[in-house]
Amino acid sequence: MAATLPAGAASAGRAPRASGDRAGARHARSALVSVAYFVVPLAVIVVLWQLATTANPSPFFPPPIAIAENLVGLLFGGGQIVTPVFTGDFLTTVGRMLAGYAIGAAWGVVVGTAMGLSRASRETVTPIVEFLRSIPATATLPLFIILLGGGDDMRVIFIAYGVSWFVLINTASGVGSIHRTLLDVGRVFRVSPARRLFSIVLPAASPKIFAGLRIASTAALLLAIVSEFILATNGIGFQLIQAQGRFQLLDMWSWMLALALLGLLLNTLLDLIERRTLSWHRLSRQKL
Amino acid sequence: MTDTSLSRSSAGAASASGGPAAGVATAAVLVDHVSHTYGRGDSAHHAIRDLAFSVQPKEFVSIVGPSGAGKTTLLRTLAGLLQPTEGAVWVNGVRNTGVPEGMAMVFQDYSRSLLPWLSVERNVAFPLAGSHHVPKPERRAIVAEALEAVGLKGFEKRYPWQLSGGMQQRVAIARALAYRPKLLLMDEPFASVDAQTREGLEDLVLSIRDRYEMTILFVTHDIDESVYLADRVLVLSRPPATLVEDIRVVLAEPRDQITTREDPEFIQLRGHVARLIHGSH
Repeated sequence: MAATLPAGAASAGRAPRASGDRAGARHARSALVSVAYFVVPLAVIVVLWQLATTANPSPFFPPPIAIAENLVGLLFGGGQIVTPVFTGDFLTTVGRMLAGYAIGAAWGVVVGTAMGLSRASRETVTPIVEFLRSIPATATLPLFIILLGGGDDMRVIFIAYGVSWFVLINTASGVGSIHRTLLDVGRVFRVSPARRLFSIVLPAASPKIFAGLRIASTAALLLAIVSEFILATNGIGFQLIQAQGRFQLLDMWSWMLALALLGLLLNTLLDLIERRTLSWHRLSRQKL
Repeated sequence: MTDTSLSRSSAGAASASGGPAAGVATAAVLVDHVSHTYGRGDSAHHAIRDLAFSVQPKEFVSIVGPSGAGKTTLLRTLAGLLQPTEGAVWVNGVRNTGVPEGMAMVFQDYSRSLLPWLSVERNVAFPLAGSHHVPKPERRAIVAEALEAVGLKGFEKRYPWQLSGGMQQRVAIARALAYRPKLLLMDEPFASVDAQTREGLEDLVLSIRDRYEMTILFVTHDIDESVYLADRVLVLSRPPATLVEDIRVVLAEPRDQITTREDPEFIQLRGHVARLIHGSH
């Protein structure tokens, strides 16, 4: 139910018309500057790395251009546009990660909301939550394998389990810290409990829920890869272990590059969603 | 100008018969020997004790008292957000078991009572949006009228946090108006705005009161404000709050920020209320 805001509604609404163009130009320039801040240091490192590795070749540290070329060769080309490795390993990992992330996030929001809303449930559940989430999620993988076997469902549930804590804790804290006045508004105007949940509680907690979702997305990728280190027959994690076994260091570097790009893509996507749905939160805080 | 016997005796009659007597059933609000205690045993805090009064339809009643006098407790009890530990509250002839129908409230903390993710327009429409009784086209008209009544026409698409404090409180008032309440509760609504904005908002409340024909209960700690706005002022004591005096305010209508405040009757009344509050140690 979170409302979206046309981009720059606040500044456009308040700024006098004449200065609009100038503000737009300043906006474009500041965007350019932030891109430059991101790209320039990265480019410098890549260039230095390229120079160092071509001047002094080592099988452990291949040149970055070779890593990128090798990655493209791994994923694209062959009979179709993409290789069997792209569909069988790359997409498989993405699929497991997204499925686990979705299930874990949903579970985290549901349980977190219940905890945030009722003091009794918060007090009963908190010790259990604190205990369980203190176990590093990766340490639970052997147990998950014994309980659920070595299949895809085990990997998805393992990812969901590890991811859920971040969402759960953030949701519980977001819902629990909603000001009493805001909740009173729903009661005073005799708003139905369901509508109070979806139109007041969840939007009010959404900035914190989203913070949890962001941390969880990083964890989802991490757990997906770790889950493919053991008993897997495909996936990026599986390919990494295979490359290590065969001493194919170029492949290992290429898969790490693939993961970096995947992580960046995921982060950018979440950033876009956050900018759209939570602009009210960002802009209202700027005002304060 | 002081009239304590009327309301006290009517409330007393109600409790004697165990319910609202025939004449009292017409009261907009009947507070029937209400007490409220937070906690138990040694740590118990007696916020209000044995309060009894009634408010007639379309009356404007101010409730004043020293800070910490249980004014907010009383208002939350009237709103049905809090169940009194003793006694009962009747709104429009119905005993409060939860939040009564036809009642709206304006909270002190406007920045927390408005939904920051909704535009002004959608905030005002919020109490109507879930209701099947009000069809959509009609909702638009109600919202537009409410925004016009509080002087916020043209601000429909803004967001609350883009507005000043006084304007945000106008949005909260418009939201209450859009709900078309018979009873409007206001909990120190102007405590967080500057003095000039406050005068404007006071006159706004007087104007909407005439236009929307509501009963208004207005909690404030500002003595001048309580007298300026009301037909009656209820003075509460320090906690446990009891009713010190029920004062009828008769001043020239319409009230005016300059002439009303110069009126010797006004000056005499505000002095009387101030003495009651400062003397209630």
